Amino acid sequence: MFIRKDDKISTSQAAIYLNNSILGAGILAFPRFGVQSVGTPDVWMSLLLSGMIAMMSVLIMVKLSQQFPGRTVFQYAKKIAGSPIGAVIGFIMVMYFMLIAGYELRVFAEVTLFYLLEGTPVWAIVIPFIWVATYLVHGGINSIARLYQIIIPASILILILSFGLSVRLFDINHLRPVLSEGVMPVLSGLKSMMLLFAGCEMTMVLVAHMDDPKQAAKAMVYGTSLPLILYLITIIVVIGGMSADSVMRSTWPTLDLLRSFETAGLLLERFEFPFIVIWMMQLFCNFCSFYYGASLGITQLFGAKLRPVILGITPLLYIIALMPKRINDLFGMGTFIGFTGVGLFLVLPILLSAVYIIRRKGLKQNVQ
Amino acid sequence: MVTHIFLQHVLGLIPMWSTILSYFPKGTVFFGAFMTLVIPLLLMRVIRLLRNFIRGSGRSLSGKGQAGFKEPQGGQGEGHAAVQHFYGNFDDDLNALKSAIGGNSDVHFREFVVAGANLRAVLVYVEGMQTEDQINKHVMKTLMKDSADEFKEALKATKPYVKNGLGAFIKKRILPVSVIFDVHNATELKQAILRGYTALMVEGMTEAILVDTPNNKTRTISEPISETLLRGPRLGFTEVLTENTAMLRQHGRNESLEIKKFEVGTRAKKSLALVYMRDIVNADLLAEVEKRLQTVDMDFIIESGYIEQLIEDDELSPFQQTQNTERPDRVLSAIMEGRIAILLDGTPFALIVPVTFSMLLQSPEDYYERWLPGTLLRCLRFFAAFLALTAPALYISFISFHPGLIPTELVISIINARQGVPFPSLIEVLILEISIEILREAGIRLPQPIGPAMGIVGGLIIGDAAVNAGIVSPFLVIVVSVTAISSFSIPMYSAGITLRILRFVGMIFASVLGILGTVLFLLLVCSHLVKLKSFGVPYLTPVTPFRFNGWKDLFLRAPMRLMYQRPDLMKPRDSTRKRRS
Repeated sequence: MFIRKDDKISTSQAAIYLNNSILGAGILAFPRFGVQSVGTPDVWMSLLLSGMIAMMSVLIMVKLSQQFPGRTVFQYAKKIAGSPIGAVIGFIMVMYFMLIAGYELRVFAEVTLFYLLEGTPVWAIVIPFIWVATYLVHGGINSIARLYQIIIPASILILILSFGLSVRLFDINHLRPVLSEGVMPVLSGLKSMMLLFAGCEMTMVLVAHMDDPKQAAKAMVYGTSLPLILYLITIIVVIGGMSADSVMRSTWPTLDLLRSFETAGLLLERFEFPFIVIWMMQLFCNFCSFYYGASLGITQLFGAKLRPVILGITPLLYIIALMPKRINDLFGMGTFIGFTGVGLFLVLPILLSAVYIIRRKGLKQNVQ
Repeated sequence: MVTHIFLQHVLGLIPMWSTILSYFPKGTVFFGAFMTLVIPLLLMRVIRLLRNFIRGSGRSLSGKGQAGFKEPQGGQGEGHAAVQHFYGNFDDDLNALKSAIGGNSDVHFREFVVAGANLRAVLVYVEGMQTEDQINKHVMKTLMKDSADEFKEALKATKPYVKNGLGAFIKKRILPVSVIFDVHNATELKQAILRGYTALMVEGMTEAILVDTPNNKTRTISEPISETLLRGPRLGFTEVLTENTAMLRQHGRNESLEIKKFEVGTRAKKSLALVYMRDIVNADLLAEVEKRLQTVDMDFIIESGYIEQLIEDDELSPFQQTQNTERPDRVLSAIMEGRIAILLDGTPFALIVPVTFSMLLQSPEDYYERWLPGTLLRCLRFFAAFLALTAPALYISFISFHPGLIPTELVISIINARQGVPFPSLIEVLILEISIEILREAGIRLPQPIGPAMGIVGGLIIGDAAVNAGIVSPFLVIVVSVTAISSFSIPMYSAGITLRILRFVGMIFASVLGILGTVLFLLLVCSHLVKLKSFGVPYLTPVTPFRFNGWKDLFLRAPMRLMYQRPDLMKPRDSTRKRRS
């Protein structure tokens, strides 16, 4: 067929989609959470460990999804756990996707207000943002994935470039001593570092949309390792550049690092500007991922049509975004989302898989 | 009131509840939420109405039957209700013809007598479209003088040819003319004469003969003005379809080059040719193009722009979905990639479908020069396109919203220069941008000798005076002129117009939300581009969907030896350009 009517995405698009679902607001603030919970500069170890755990759980999700070709978690949860429980699971996931979308939106607004448009009302930033996202999401998962393919090379380039320029501040001693207080701080940091990988539940939606679901494991592992690598670079550069102590006192440590040096001779003196611009786009992607996920979930749970739902949930997203009253509420919300996410991407797939295996192998039921 | 106090009291007992209540969104938030929903809803409704309105009117027309488009090979006039047959009698036929088209002053009837046979004959032609020389020398002289003996002999030998074989006899033995057509009914004869053929009718003949092809008015082949190159063939299409197809045949000598002709236009007919490589083009694509051409229904198609607008995917998109070109080399290289060219009689502009965004920024020269300059020039063009799209928007957002983001010394000098300017930056930019656009538009219409002079007056003098008068800042003059020059560096004129339109949209976005507006504008444009398709091919291929092969010909123009594959976005039947040894 020359003209395609199906809304499927290729393997690389699926990987990038997952990457953009994970890589969101976290990168701006997470070095602080990391340092706060670990207490030593060994944050990168917790990060690495939690990345590995996330990847394992992604693999479980892939395996589970592959048993139900062409179906998303909203559909197969009902098959596995029965209609009512499945519906509840689906509903929780939809709520979670909407919360996360609203959260990203608010972080976006806060960063923009703080660095670029001081004094602008929040709604003036949030509403146009939602509108543009609605236009994109209206085009289906294919359009979204294509936009990601345009943006991700630029984001990675700018990210690497900005961090590359901050190398002059880098001091390896800020990262030492390694494991000064043993392994325990590293393990206690796992909790907060896992939050960074919230968003990888998207796997359970993505596999159903892939051209070639057999490649899903590969795509999803790539999709998880890219953000892991970027997070690792970030944490090493930020802690190495600012030292653990000052990271702890900064609201947006990554941006503060980029603000703390000037590059003479370039067109721009400070590099936080291109970084913010590209991160606006990255947050937009992240928002669209969950926006689409939530719309798709509602569609499949209630048997509605996708396009009206996409329009219909915009007010909800707006209200969620405006709910936190101050920045600490926002971070609280982020932590809450993170824990829900960890529950969803660690516990849910394992539970579902267990029930599935018991019903298939133990009770010899036909679960399709 | 009482209930209110009571509620407060009861609810206050639960400390959690009041905290939750405090997070409950206020009325203004609901209003915002409402607006979030309603405005896109309205916009979508308007767009849908607009699209239905455009499409709907077109569809009702094409429902009447596909009269506008037919294959001339198959359509030998059958199906026409009013086919007039010849009476078989010379006088009657001639009179019928005279009454039908004799009223036109430019239709001439030259009656004469065939020597040797004493048969009456008539030549009918439209003034100015006959080849005088050919008719005089080869038709009239032959029939009136040279063939007298032959006729006499034939008359002596056999009689019956007069009844049924006269036409064949004349064609075979008498007329030394290579291109001859038979016409068997009066309707067709009328059309042929008006199209410029010269018709011969001889007493006793059951058909008419077209002895001379129309001598169409043409101009000489010249270099295309809209797409000039330093290096490359200095060859452009002309207004004559046959000449254009001949040009393609001449330069693309290959037996699988297929040229299919159709007729378009319900009232005034025009030929249209589809050109493609039979063994490369994707069959589905070809079928799709033919299907869309069948919906073309208009009484007169003047230029290929009509076709373009009638077959494109999205009428509301600012981006063009077919490429137009006057260059045969461009058409040939496109069909070698598996694309399809649409040529129309009467215009030198051919259409190439499907088109992708990167094609609009490519110039044939990229391939004719060596790969390093080709690559650099191409990157330069991408950069220029970006500037042409966003430079004024960036200026507005930096000056009005984020002066802190540019180096301090630069800010100081810009602010100093802007000191006397009484307008906000948007108005300032608009003043200069609009004057430049007017200047450009005027420049096209100005007579050749005045053009450059006006350019100097408009550009230099007005610009300088505007700065001196304190209406605009000198820094802005730089920005606007760089933008204008950048938009000239785009090889496709129509793509340049698109960027010009979008630039103004970007400026408005920037003036509302600063750099955030610019980012949202870029995201909007990208969102639109990823949705856009040209004949089923995503507009942004090979960037997305990602095609590695395509990247060799995007920012980079890879060395020729590496370009052995056709772009796979076209899904061609034969994907390799050369056999690799």
